Amino acid sequence: MLTLEEKKTVLYDEHIKLKARMVPFGGWMMPVQYEGIIKEHNTTRTAAGLFDVSHMGEVYIKGIDSLNYLQKIVPQDISKLEKGKAVYCQLPNYKGGLIDDLIIYNVKGIIDEIDYFIVINASRINEDLAFMKENAKGYDVEVINKSDYFSMLALQGPNAKNIIQKSGIDFDNQPKFFSIISSNLFNIPVLLTRTGYTGEDGFEIVAKNEHIAELWNKILSFKNETGVVPVGLGARDTLRLEAGLPLYGHELNEDTTPVESSLGFFIPTDKKEDYNGKDIILGQKLKQIPLRRKLFAFIMQDKQIARAGYDVYLNGNKAGVVTSGAPSCTLGKNIGFCMIEFDNLDNDLVTRLNNPKESIGMNIQIMVRNKLYNAEIVKKPFVKKNYEK
Amino acid sequence: MNIPEGILCTKTHEWVLEEGEKATIGLTDYAVEQLGDVVFVELPEIGNTFSKDEVFATIESVKAASEIYMPVGGKIVAVNEELINSPELINEDAFQNWLVQIELDNFKDDSEGLMEYSDYKEEVQ
Repeated sequence: MLTLEEKKTVLYDEHIKLKARMVPFGGWMMPVQYEGIIKEHNTTRTAAGLFDVSHMGEVYIKGIDSLNYLQKIVPQDISKLEKGKAVYCQLPNYKGGLIDDLIIYNVKGIIDEIDYFIVINASRINEDLAFMKENAKGYDVEVINKSDYFSMLALQGPNAKNIIQKSGIDFDNQPKFFSIISSNLFNIPVLLTRTGYTGEDGFEIVAKNEHIAELWNKILSFKNETGVVPVGLGARDTLRLEAGLPLYGHELNEDTTPVESSLGFFIPTDKKEDYNGKDIILGQKLKQIPLRRKLFAFIMQDKQIARAGYDVYLNGNKAGVVTSGAPSCTLGKNIGFCMIEFDNLDNDLVTRLNNPKESIGMNIQIMVRNKLYNAEIVKKPFVKKNYEK
Repeated sequence: MNIPEGILCTKTHEWVLEEGEKATIGLTDYAVEQLGDVVFVELPEIGNTFSKDEVFATIESVKAASEIYMPVGGKIVAVNEELINSPELINEDAFQNWLVQIELDNFKDDSEGLMEYSDYKEEVQ
């Protein structure tokens, strides 16, 4: 339902013209689907999909202390982030829980006078900015919210690079995986990044609000040659789930550390600088501090679909909750993530859950409409990533 | 898509076609369009009895699960097995691909307040 609080992206009228079904998401009215989630999902995997992700937030970081400041607020080692490169990061609170997850770009020499460019989740813009500004005290650094200035598109799928070429940037000049360039598409100035949220090769295109409708329509005009279609948030969710990527508010929250959310892979052990929540996050990564809970990927063995919020059972006892669940269009099976709470489980079971060699393949049950159905813990991602590196 | 003559519809988007002692029940074309791609249908067991407005089945799109309510009370005498294996059929034709058939309990009283299809269409548009 449309309330006064929901904002419209610059592309709202374009979505209506395309007969999208609009829904509220993260404070915005967003297209959930155009022609249908399954078709949009499959087209992104086989050709290309264009997403309006203008609701996402953008932040500039500038100042002498930019690097030291970022070292304080994320677990990743930003001193290793070269100019023009990007890194997936988390924003922990003081207890190691997550305020958000984000991508930090080193844009020195790419955006005038700016050191770092950060893309944050739409639903967390206010929380992120408040926390980032609170942490900026004592640093010679400016944290500038650019969310109302920029719009953003994601162009994802195996044909994305061909579309970017047709739009004015040759393969050789396109940014490489997890990189950013400042360039022009159709003579419109853009920041172009080789990132995304689908597990496919693809780009994210950041431009001033007044240019975004022209970019949107010109890219979609390549439909006949490239198969590109507009894709809504419905397929964005099933695509990211298949790729094993977490969604804030589902797999990530303020009470759960990145290690507990199965993002331990992204936590460096050799970063010297202190950062918020380092004691618990690094302690858990090094197995010196026990996990309180852990995120697992699962595939349903029965035809029932597990949905976010459904209870998870281990050996007949309630042990957790489904955080995301949907049918996988690519696998033809029903997949999901669940958070298993360790506090009420016996030590032996917790030890086994903590050891991937034992947890992968373990049977869990999920309560669907008052009946238990079987699922199997699997390794993420569900669908192999198709990045061009 | 043919709309069967004489169907009655609920505000919760079910249709019922009375045929003497029995009736056929399904989901309206409007509801199916709103749901999008249907990927799963859970139907009740034959022999179970449900009263009017009781949940008797579940239909799931990619995005969400929705409950389906009995438009009138009765005993389940047949379920559309084809839909269990091919739930996407309901996207093609919501009237041909019915959900269940029932033995009617008290159609005269239960059908009070149900809408003719033309009135229903006006209401949802």
